[in-house]
Amino acid sequence: MRSEHWIYTLPLRLRSLFRRNRAEQDLADELRDHLESQTQQYLATGLSPEEARRAAIRDLDGLELRKEQCRDARRTRPLEDLIQDLRYSLRALRKSPGFTATAILTLALGIGANAAIFSIVNAVLLRSLPYPSSSQLLTLSNNQSVPDLEDIQKQTRSFSAIGGVNKQALDFTGEGEPIQITGGLCNADLFPALGIQPAIGRAFTLQEDRFGGPALVLLTHGFWTRHFAADPAVVGKSIRLSGNSYTIIGVMPRDFWLPGRPVDVLASIRIANPAAAQFRGVHFLATYLRLQPGASIQQASAEMKSIDEWLAAHYPDNDRQMHRRLVSLREAIVGDVRLELLVLFAAVAIVLLIACVNFASLQLARSATRRREIAIRVALGAPSGRLIRQVITESVLLSLLGGACGLILGALGVRILLLLKPAGLPRIETTSMDASVLLFTFVLSFFTGILFGLIPAFSAAFFGTNLHLKEDQRATSGAGSGFRLRRLLVVSEIALALILLISATLMLRSFSLLHRVDPGFRPVNLLTMRLELPEARYREQTRQRYMHQQLLEHLNSAPGVQAALISELPMSGDFLDHNFIIDGRPIPPPGTEPEVQTRTVAGNYFSLMGISLLAGRDFGPQDRTGSLHVAIVNRAFVAQYFPAQEVLGARVDWARNNGPDWMTIVGVVGDVKHFGPNEPELPAVYDLYSQTGQPWKRWMYIVIRGESAPGSLLAIAKQQLWSIDNQLPLTQISTMSDVLAASLDHQRFNLTLLGAFAAVALALAVIGIYGVMAYSVIQRTNEIGIRVALGAQPRNILRLILSQGLRLALLGTILGIAASFALTRYMSHLLFGISPRDPRTFFAIPVALCFVALTACYLPARRALRNDPLTALRYE
Amino acid sequence: MSKPSDLVQGTLDLLLLKILALEPLNGFAISIRLKQVSGEILQVSDGSLYPALHKLEQEGWIKAEWRASENNRRAKFYSLTRLGRRQLDREAANWNRLSTAISQIIKLEEV
Repeated sequence: MRSEHWIYTLPLRLRSLFRRNRAEQDLADELRDHLESQTQQYLATGLSPEEARRAAIRDLDGLELRKEQCRDARRTRPLEDLIQDLRYSLRALRKSPGFTATAILTLALGIGANAAIFSIVNAVLLRSLPYPSSSQLLTLSNNQSVPDLEDIQKQTRSFSAIGGVNKQALDFTGEGEPIQITGGLCNADLFPALGIQPAIGRAFTLQEDRFGGPALVLLTHGFWTRHFAADPAVVGKSIRLSGNSYTIIGVMPRDFWLPGRPVDVLASIRIANPAAAQFRGVHFLATYLRLQPGASIQQASAEMKSIDEWLAAHYPDNDRQMHRRLVSLREAIVGDVRLELLVLFAAVAIVLLIACVNFASLQLARSATRRREIAIRVALGAPSGRLIRQVITESVLLSLLGGACGLILGALGVRILLLLKPAGLPRIETTSMDASVLLFTFVLSFFTGILFGLIPAFSAAFFGTNLHLKEDQRATSGAGSGFRLRRLLVVSEIALALILLISATLMLRSFSLLHRVDPGFRPVNLLTMRLELPEARYREQTRQRYMHQQLLEHLNSAPGVQAALISELPMSGDFLDHNFIIDGRPIPPPGTEPEVQTRTVAGNYFSLMGISLLAGRDFGPQDRTGSLHVAIVNRAFVAQYFPAQEVLGARVDWARNNGPDWMTIVGVVGDVKHFGPNEPELPAVYDLYSQTGQPWKRWMYIVIRGESAPGSLLAIAKQQLWSIDNQLPLTQISTMSDVLAASLDHQRFNLTLLGAFAAVALALAVIGIYGVMAYSVIQRTNEIGIRVALGAQPRNILRLILSQGLRLALLGTILGIAASFALTRYMSHLLFGISPRDPRTFFAIPVALCFVALTACYLPARRALRNDPLTALRYE
Repeated sequence: MSKPSDLVQGTLDLLLLKILALEPLNGFAISIRLKQVSGEILQVSDGSLYPALHKLEQEGWIKAEWRASENNRRAKFYSLTRLGRRQLDREAANWNRLSTAISQIIKLEEV
């Protein structure tokens, strides 16, 4: 029934819309036909042609009215009105290209910035993790050891699968130079836990995932493409990783992703690192727990609590201090960055708000110049609803055009943002202009158009009608509700801009404070690189020590080069801590001993790095393998453990060592900013590679100081290293200055964005106040002319205009300060060494803003002065 | 001149559907037919005829095509659709019910 209805009516609707001229022609023809026939009939009754025609028309009772009623019958009226409004708007906009371009550009800036930030927020915060039913995935608050995870797996009933991964460097000696790759060493449960299966081949099974099982490896898509040219026949081949042979059994899908840094291959932890996997104390597995269907998180948490208590009771040495908690995986990944992204989002929303205020203000100014036109249309019978709709249509058209340009700007913006390498934003690399970004931008543009079109629309419709027809525009002091509204807009604009300026300044100041932080070492002319000796060939410490010694000798023999080794380089992100005990003090229960950072060095590390020696002596040639095991501690260690006692000569040891290995403290060095410029240093113990009892510590950073360019230093390092062993890959090659700069990447990213937003906000606000003042001066030309004619001096006029501008600026500034005072505390976690209500910033920036605003008023004021009073009086 | 409001609401639609049910006609012919069949009792202004026709067309009850008229001019001829036939039946039935009810009331004896 309905479908039949549409068979008849749809072609009619389409014709009314798209072949409107044809429909109109038909209507005219039909009525003309009627008129002619009727006229003929009247002629037959003896009327004159003229009378006959008039009678026929009279019978129709108003030709145009009837036509209009026929058009109404078409039921496409709203759409037709819209099309008419759009046509009218396009024509009007084309006629004022300056206004159109300014409005579109203003909105494009605001919307573009929002689209860019939203696409990042979308990628990092909103998009669900790339795992099936990812809301069912949880993680534990701390890392687990392999035996612990086994026990949890045995005792749980809430989880269908519990995966664990540790990322480790592996040497891949395929073709050419040896390279270091990242291995995801995991258990077989990882695949069902994540819900991801290989795209080619298969994953390893529970039976294969055992000590002494087969050496199997899965390749990630990227590694497979880079090193095997995406060869589908790769399954079954074998590759050598860190000296051992592995059989390839599968390739992961292209979009496979693990939180944190990307991995190249996946292998069983029990095969690839059996030594570490055996120990309950090696808590190094990141965990992925998939909830059993139907199991609740509360239930699972309660279960995990009892398992944790069981582990703590059975293995107090290793598990007493774990206090495992379940956290949603998503929360664990994005929880830290949510707040700072929201700060950025708030900042960019303020930019949009300012852009919108400018937009509304522009439209108000325009509607003021169109008052006559609107008045005429009202007088001709345009209903005010229709007028409002027309103004809003124009506004939405502009905002959608602005949004389209904004998308282009946004896409560019995202490219630039990604170039800034925002460290620590998980999954930022998946940022793209996807459907939700498009939808967001569209909705944003649409509502911007409607909301900020309403202001001019209402002021346009409520403009008196007859008033403006006879108005001679001799308005005196820029009166009119439209103008009052514009001043209000400028005030809010200044207030908003001030919030951003203050926030950006706080960021800038804390960034410069961070830059000035003394790292505790001299970073210039230092080249660093990481080296890890493969277990297969360097299991014994004698071989490792021989390598260290050879390497240092070779490097130091090169002219103008000094080299040393350190296990954990400051600001590299690497750190290692151990429980420890102090000789002569009561030994705490196992598992509750204090923790200390442990770092192992070789060569003249402290003097080479420029770390100051505060007490005692540096390591020297007398400290060799077999001689007294000595250690140097940092200032933080002394402050925490030996605040009043003599530290030199005291002895410390790692807790629960296999047999005591006391280290005698012979020196104290200054603290370095190991964890970054904005993080405090922790207590640390340094010992020597030649004396340490830890054969598994096969990694090291080579630190080279030399005057030559980093490139030639690197060439020397490679040449010397490979003359000893040409199978060792060097990684993380960087100058120390770059390491230092990279530690501030995060802050730099936030600062750059906030700074850019503040700059845009300032520019828009200045344009806004300039526009309003310029308009006001034009409005007051006449008044100013009278004042000058009556003898006012230029400075009186100047003061008149400037004081008007200053009032707006001051009002905006006061509001802005109040708002900033309330808001900046939300960014305290982004600041360093400065209060979010820093009085100097809160004073200087408003003053500067007022000054800028006054300058923006000064230009139009000067123009007012230049006017000849006679012309001014005659002005319109 | 008689106004369309003199017609009971919706009656014009019924009349037009009925007239077109007999044969396809153009607007002018319809107007003449209206005058013929209803005599002087129901006066329909030519003016309200066309909006009403367009409304019926947009409802899908009648359809229009351009054809040569008797005096060999291009004219828009309206004819009933299947939907229109159904609508006519419905409206005629309504009308019968209404008029019967009203005549019953009018026939009541006054006391």
